[in-house]
Amino acid sequence: MQYLSQLFKKSFLPLFLILINSMLFAQEEYTLRGTISDETNGETMFGTTVYFKGTTIGTTTNEYGFYSITAPEGKYILVVSYVGYKEIQKEVFLNKNTTLNIEIKEDPSLLDEVVITATDGSERLNIRKPQMGVVTLKAETIKLVPAVLGEVDLIKTIQLLPGVSNNGEGSAGFNVRGGAVDQNLVLLDEAIIYNTSHFFGLFSVFNNDAIKDVKLYKGDIPAKFGGRTASVLDVRQKDGNNKRLELNGGIGLISSRLALEAPLFKKKGSFLLAGRSTYAQLFMGLADDLGNSKISFYDLNLKANYEINENNKIYVSSYFGRDVFNISSLLDSNYGNITGNLRWNHIFNDKLFSNLSLIYSKYDYQIVLDFVKLDWISDIENFNLKYDFGYYASDKIKIDFGLSGISYNLNPGEITPSTPTSPINPLKLDQKRAFEAGAYASVEHAITDKLTARYGLRYSTFNRLGGQAIKNYANNQPVVYNQGLGIYQSGEAVGETEYSRGQTIEQFGNLEPRLGLSYKLTDHSSIKGSYTRTAQYLQLLSNTASVTPLDVWTTSGTYVKPQLSNQYALGYYKKFNDNAYSFEAETYYKTTDNRIDYIDGADLIGNNTIETEILNGEARAYGLELMLRKNKGRFTGWFSYTLAKTEQRSFGGIAGGPGINNGNWYNAPFDRTHDISITGMYKFTDKWTFSANAVYQTGRPVTYPTGQFEYDGSSVVIYNNRNASRLPAYHRIDVSATYKPNRKPDKQWKGEWVFSIYNMYNRRNAASITFGQNYNTVANEATRTSIFGIIPSITYNFKF
Amino acid sequence: MNTLIEIIRKNILKSKHALKMALLGLIAFSCTDVVDISVPTEAPRLVIEASLGWEKGSLGNNQTIKLSLSTPFYDLTPSPVTGASVRIENVTNGDVFIFEDQQDGRYTTADFEPIINNTYNLEVIYNNEAYTAQETLIPVPEIDRIEQSRIGGSDPEELDLTIYFNDIENEVNFYYATFLEGNDLLPLRIVLSDEFTDGNEMSIFYEENEADAEDEILPGDMVDIYLFGITEEYYDFLGRLIEQGDNAGDPFATVPTRLKGNYINPGNPENYAFGYFRVTEFVNEVYTFVE
Repeated sequence: MQYLSQLFKKSFLPLFLILINSMLFAQEEYTLRGTISDETNGETMFGTTVYFKGTTIGTTTNEYGFYSITAPEGKYILVVSYVGYKEIQKEVFLNKNTTLNIEIKEDPSLLDEVVITATDGSERLNIRKPQMGVVTLKAETIKLVPAVLGEVDLIKTIQLLPGVSNNGEGSAGFNVRGGAVDQNLVLLDEAIIYNTSHFFGLFSVFNNDAIKDVKLYKGDIPAKFGGRTASVLDVRQKDGNNKRLELNGGIGLISSRLALEAPLFKKKGSFLLAGRSTYAQLFMGLADDLGNSKISFYDLNLKANYEINENNKIYVSSYFGRDVFNISSLLDSNYGNITGNLRWNHIFNDKLFSNLSLIYSKYDYQIVLDFVKLDWISDIENFNLKYDFGYYASDKIKIDFGLSGISYNLNPGEITPSTPTSPINPLKLDQKRAFEAGAYASVEHAITDKLTARYGLRYSTFNRLGGQAIKNYANNQPVVYNQGLGIYQSGEAVGETEYSRGQTIEQFGNLEPRLGLSYKLTDHSSIKGSYTRTAQYLQLLSNTASVTPLDVWTTSGTYVKPQLSNQYALGYYKKFNDNAYSFEAETYYKTTDNRIDYIDGADLIGNNTIETEILNGEARAYGLELMLRKNKGRFTGWFSYTLAKTEQRSFGGIAGGPGINNGNWYNAPFDRTHDISITGMYKFTDKWTFSANAVYQTGRPVTYPTGQFEYDGSSVVIYNNRNASRLPAYHRIDVSATYKPNRKPDKQWKGEWVFSIYNMYNRRNAASITFGQNYNTVANEATRTSIFGIIPSITYNFKF
Repeated sequence: MNTLIEIIRKNILKSKHALKMALLGLIAFSCTDVVDISVPTEAPRLVIEASLGWEKGSLGNNQTIKLSLSTPFYDLTPSPVTGASVRIENVTNGDVFIFEDQQDGRYTTADFEPIINNTYNLEVIYNNEAYTAQETLIPVPEIDRIEQSRIGGSDPEELDLTIYFNDIENEVNFYYATFLEGNDLLPLRIVLSDEFTDGNEMSIFYEENEADAEDEILPGDMVDIYLFGITEEYYDFLGRLIEQGDNAGDPFATVPTRLKGNYINPGNPENYAFGYFRVTEFVNEVYTFVE
């Protein structure tokens, strides 16, 4: 009894008193927030880690450089760190809600570090983000990779990463994890870009001088993005140097560029104006029968911002680009994207950040054929209003939520006579209107020191609006199988249903969960898993081997259902030697429903009723992606390897018949079994840097002949099952050398010479192989078309 | 087929190449080579070339059907089929025509009776399997006139010609024309429909194939011209056949497909035959270029 009372007095009582004490004087929590930017030019930093030293309390900055951390009252050392920058440590006394904006400076000794961050922005932080399958690239890294004709290109650079490839030289776009080109959501400052290439994939529309950074989400797509099933390429332009006037430019063999940045409004804002253009009169008279020809393209990028006060900042960005061809007097064609975005960042309170954007984007293609007196134009445009919020609830929970509405207007094709005496009658393919909306919420939850989870949900709806008539078909079969001929043909149209502008033709709604989990195994390694479900309501129709500007965007509706995709992914990440090396392995399995496919002999160009040319199908893809990177030292670079398979199949469905390829799985057109890329950069001296990349890919699937027969005096080729054969393997090596004279180091003007050779050993990689009879010898032969042989180039880049 | 490419095809064959090169746009950098690529080989299949033609104004009683086997892609040696039995039945009036095996892949008859708009049924029995097809005899108008010029084509100095004929009104009509010039080995083939030109005078333009640039057409050169009236199904088939023939060297070609004709093997559907059974009226003119 006495023992017990002693125990009570010595332990429980003090404990009890402390408890009372703490209840009476409970620890207050305060929030520290602010913006992290670059000291030299004021650019906000995305993905910078900000945390309290010795704790797990911290976060990474968002797209606008904003951070917010909440912690109990006390004294802390705030650490701000980003790869390639000097780490800042600052003492902070947190006794009230505080705003602290910090500028960080690039570390010259670290300038050559390869700035690709795979999953988290900092290696020193204990918080592990469950985001997986994402790669961040800074414009500086893109500059280091040798490119065709000295034009650095972010689309070509991302293809050096695992899981990303493209459908051959001369074709536009890129493929991620076996996804088609139209399954990538490409955003430039939040505006949708429909065609990422100039000149059929030779160059991209992104002028590197105007780019700040790029994030590619390969699979684990955050809930705030929707509308595409394979990836999101989020490209952001620079805000513009808000400290002083800066000039960047370059003069190359085929094009030149100039970018101007300067502060505005007494350094409360800034702007960026960049342009790039090929020299006119290019490639004249190279082909005799085409005589006087001109091919050119240009880009114009604009961005401006103004900081109204500590809690409000507005931005305006715009892009305008065009490709122009003139083929003597026969043909005039031009196409391009135009975008505009008005944004308002508003910070409601220290924990709640918001961004409201009003966005416009349009892609159009026009061709005038003088000899037929015909003018063809097709376009797709959209208006988008989105409101995104980030709520930094506590040091363990961050919530993102928001809304988005996109209104689409598609003009699949309009033919007008180009002169009053033209024999052509006007023809307009039905204009399509639609509205896509999305609402999402996503929570990032640091459950324990080692385990972080992200659970999000997106709900998307799609309304195909009226204002056109939809054809009806006998037995509801737009496509039917003709048993006799063994082919699919158009069904019989039996009238139309007229929909007025106010009506809805079809409506769809889909729940898209986005889940991720990350577990820290050791201080230097982690594993992650994710599940993503996405819906896509737009498709790009193409049945040629390459994507051409005549391919037309179409939307889900009566006959075309939304694509729905599920992706499961697992990854392992490890860093060695204080982040001198890093290793990543990711494996994924992806299924997509309602992927449409074309019947044999489909006629898509200028067709008003594509439902007569397609069958509904499904796709599946799986693969293993490995990447080993050397991040520090004179020699840096990466080795990436992807082993993958992508296939699709279509049954006959309501059309009857065996389907495409007899309803069996067959290789998708962009299936690449092996994809190896090796990139290396070597800093030889202060003046000379060398870089090289080597690429090897399994040839893409094609349909090859398996025989021939004689008919009507000529040889008719017999073709095999669709995509059952492969082109020869694709491989090449590019090299480049950069020389920085730097004769006057204290002068503002800095120049460098870049010498590069694309495809060093001049391999004629087959872009396509076609088969037929030689007109003169009547022998059957295979003709290979290859696009780029060896191409040397010199570019002079300058910076002021 | 109310499509853009149709309109272009109809109006200017000559610039199909230019259009494609424009779409290609990579003339500066691209390069085409003939390469040695091995391709797989499938088992030989029966090929039935049954193109029954009735020249306008003649009896049309002599007809030949050719049977052969398909061969590996690079091997063009003929592979004739003998020992088959071939017969045609006029379903409309019940007449039957037996074709005799000439022991060299050809099967002939001298008794055929072509009647406009009658339906004919072909049956071939080979290796104990039966292959059948059905077609209707489609009439064709006369070629009204042929005009030559120099300015019409892509080369203002080269000779070219245009044939004119009158479409039959209030009917859906399809036409097939072939042009074989001088010593050329392969003809130019064109198919048309009267979709935009019903009841009007229609025209077809011919000029030397660009692959044959060395061999300029000179006054005195002759072009052997055929014009056939065909069914819509054959029009579709020929359209695809011609397009695939043009595919060589074209990276923007549509994905090629297996060209199955209209033969079915009712007993064994997988074992169909290649080729096409057509019964058409045709006109033939040989035009000689003048100065």
